[in-house]
Amino acid sequence: MTSPFPFQPEDLRRVLSEALSRGGHYADIFLEDTSIRSLELQDGMVSQAVQTVLYGAGIRVLCGEQTGFAYTMELTMPAMLRAATFAASIGRYGKGGENRQMPLPCLATASKWTRSDEKTENLSPLAVRDILLHIDQMAHEMDRRIVRVKASLNQRLQTVSLVNSLGEEFTDIRPRTTLFVHIVMEQSGQTEMGYASRMMQMGAEMVTETTIREVVSEAVRRAAFLFGASRIEGGETTVVMAAGAGGILLHEAIGHAFEADFIRQGTSVFADMLGKEICSPDITIVDDGTQQGDAGCLAWDDEGTKGLRTVLVADGRLESFMHDRISARHFQVSPTGNGRRQSFRHPPLPRMRSTYMLPGQATADDIIRSVRRGILAEVFTNGQVQIGAGDFTFYMKQGHLIEDGRITRPLRDMNIIGNGPRALRDISLVGNDLQFDHSASMCGKGGQNVPVSQGLPTVLINKLTVG
Amino acid sequence: MNETLHTETAQRAMQAVQHEGCSDARIILMHNDEDTIQVRNESLERLQHATSTSLALNLFIDGREGFFYTNDLRPDALSRFVREAVQATTLLHPDETRTLADPSRYYRGDGLGLDNCDSMLSAISPDEKISLARRTNDQVLGCDHRIICAETHYSDRLHSAYTLISNGFEGYEESSHITLSTIVTVSGDDGRHFMDGWGETRIRFRDMPSEGVAPIALQRALRKIGQRPVRSGNYTMIVESPVAGSLLAPMLAAMNGQAIQQRTSFLANRLGTRVGSSLLHIVDDPHIPGTRGACYFDYDGVATQRRILFDEGRLTTFFIDTPYGNKLRMAPTTQGTHHLIFRPSDKSLHQLMSDYPEAILVTDFNGGNCDPTTGNFSYGIEGFLLNKGEIVQPVSGVNITGNQLRLWESLVGVANDADPWETELIPSLAFDEVAFGGK
Repeated sequence: MTSPFPFQPEDLRRVLSEALSRGGHYADIFLEDTSIRSLELQDGMVSQAVQTVLYGAGIRVLCGEQTGFAYTMELTMPAMLRAATFAASIGRYGKGGENRQMPLPCLATASKWTRSDEKTENLSPLAVRDILLHIDQMAHEMDRRIVRVKASLNQRLQTVSLVNSLGEEFTDIRPRTTLFVHIVMEQSGQTEMGYASRMMQMGAEMVTETTIREVVSEAVRRAAFLFGASRIEGGETTVVMAAGAGGILLHEAIGHAFEADFIRQGTSVFADMLGKEICSPDITIVDDGTQQGDAGCLAWDDEGTKGLRTVLVADGRLESFMHDRISARHFQVSPTGNGRRQSFRHPPLPRMRSTYMLPGQATADDIIRSVRRGILAEVFTNGQVQIGAGDFTFYMKQGHLIEDGRITRPLRDMNIIGNGPRALRDISLVGNDLQFDHSASMCGKGGQNVPVSQGLPTVLINKLTVG
Repeated sequence: MNETLHTETAQRAMQAVQHEGCSDARIILMHNDEDTIQVRNESLERLQHATSTSLALNLFIDGREGFFYTNDLRPDALSRFVREAVQATTLLHPDETRTLADPSRYYRGDGLGLDNCDSMLSAISPDEKISLARRTNDQVLGCDHRIICAETHYSDRLHSAYTLISNGFEGYEESSHITLSTIVTVSGDDGRHFMDGWGETRIRFRDMPSEGVAPIALQRALRKIGQRPVRSGNYTMIVESPVAGSLLAPMLAAMNGQAIQQRTSFLANRLGTRVGSSLLHIVDDPHIPGTRGACYFDYDGVATQRRILFDEGRLTTFFIDTPYGNKLRMAPTTQGTHHLIFRPSDKSLHQLMSDYPEAILVTDFNGGNCDPTTGNFSYGIEGFLLNKGEIVQPVSGVNITGNQLRLWESLVGVANDADPWETELIPSLAFDEVAFGGK
């Protein structure tokens, strides 16, 4: 593949040399050329287009655990050298600096990887327009109560190149396609809105008739569901997390607290628990960058580590945290391929990819039958965690009340609160029905958003607070 | 910002747009200079600098509207970008409501006098900024054996934008802000960790406080030790000023023209009616010199003005831009708030807390959401159980539930402690009979 960036290897070597001129032990250049094209349907018309171009380079210097970072949107040598000079200045401050005058490897003979054998095709604007009109018609045919349909198809194509002072280099093409459908329904003066989405790391091949119908049906079902749903009085109760979207539990309850920058800083509630038994031996949890097509899939992470499958919890024991280069160096372990960034404008941080729990033995029916009174949480909108205390929340948009082992009435709009380590210990049953959730799921941390996904079999948590 | 160079780039883009046969366009050329510094305990953890220039292009072709953004401003790339933008817009369905604003509504002044930009900011060296962050963090290091980690973040941004609209608007604006914040993590006797923070924002570097930020963060983290849920029930809720905006956000979102036209607003039919108690009195005043958010024109180029949003409980404004004004057959107003002021009382927070025999002071929200069509909400909270204004127990693991309209109807008290350096000046607020779900 021809590099889309206007630099020769010797140019980049010169920039790296400047970046390391003040005492850094490692430097990398992250070049990015991204285009995002989106069309939106509203009121039966495809009358709005949105396109974005992101083009630039981020230059990072590590000096011990300190980071110097600068980016430029001007891909010329003077601008690149200016950014490198600023990033290099981290070497002037405090610790680090043990590798001054570090010899640079010759880029021409260093490791090089290029994912060039995959062709990515985007849909033409006309094709997207037809798909959106098709969605509008399909939705209205599904339910006469629909008064508004809004849909958009977003096609993102990111080309990145990374070159670092270890002599490693890769170029990768990362397509991402996202379909959103919003439905508004009215019935007897009551208005409700349903929403569904799909996001995959692939191009036009994501947008099949089957996928379109699934997403539209989900959005319509979710809007209709809300007419008959209500809330219950708040308090502590048993919670069954449905397979698939229930993976938000892992993301919020333990995922962020396993990101090794929080471990290195000592702030995570799990900081002292490596190697310890933290939950039932029936539980194994993985963070995986190798699942093709998944939103969290990474051939290489954003600092050049190959995409890996990392076992976080093995048979109830805390096995590994999620590392970038900084935390890996601190703990003297190998990076786990979790160094991710939103764009060239951001330095990498340890982030999740696709986080899921392996299946257990119980059936979903067995789990529900075991509950005297509790809730089955099925559809979620958002969540967050307080890293220090480990207190997490996620918002249940849709679920059901369970009474005497049976699903009874529909529930909506309840916030669920728990504490990460405690909730993990309180998981008493794990289903055999692992499912992955491919809704558009963006994870925010440190002002950066990256796509993630999650998976979960049905699980029973003895006690969480709902309200 | 090189104002001349950027003005020329925008004008070149406008010529390219017109060359491609598009007569109506809005072009905004933005430039930002940003520094970020992070100090953790004794070490400088991160030093970051960013300079960015980008162009936003909004095209209107026979009722078709396209939004385009690029930071690749090389002449060839910009020409290609404009050509593709025009082509993409032409493929859309015509929607006659999508038009530029009426030129008679455009701002026509000289743009002077807002006093919301620190022109000296770019002359402040990284060393001075690092020194401020280090001095701030040092104020708590070693102060308490329970400290696990203290982190201070410094960030600044110098922003400028040149707007050019084809039917007769040209405007230039600039602003700056500087933020200094500290987050402290402490350990309780049982090994649990508690984290809290405090921050200050200013327009000028010279106004940044040299003391106070980190000690307040430490005090806020320490007072959380021993957090536990309260019993479920209805309590008076006092929401501390820094987080009170989270409660108001769904009301402001429900006033947006798109939400109203798309029937996803619980305020859709409530313009001119009472939607809260008489204490709900809010104005948006974008013309106060020296305040954040101050501006003479909005994204559309339309002249901003002082607006009453809620007049003693009555909803008096919707945020309607030109396209949604056309769709709703309503007079356009503006797209949102700029410098929002919630009418304060003469009471301090402590006096407000003392007004109630038992209450819960909410100091932070932990997740939750609000349904935009119904206004029903559920939020996780943390804070303190109060007895006659004094803290008796730190609280966490609790949800509040309710409905936005009923909540604002139950507004019974307002303090005078809004931070004047914010874009939304919302004091601490007291609400009667709020449902808390805990133990």
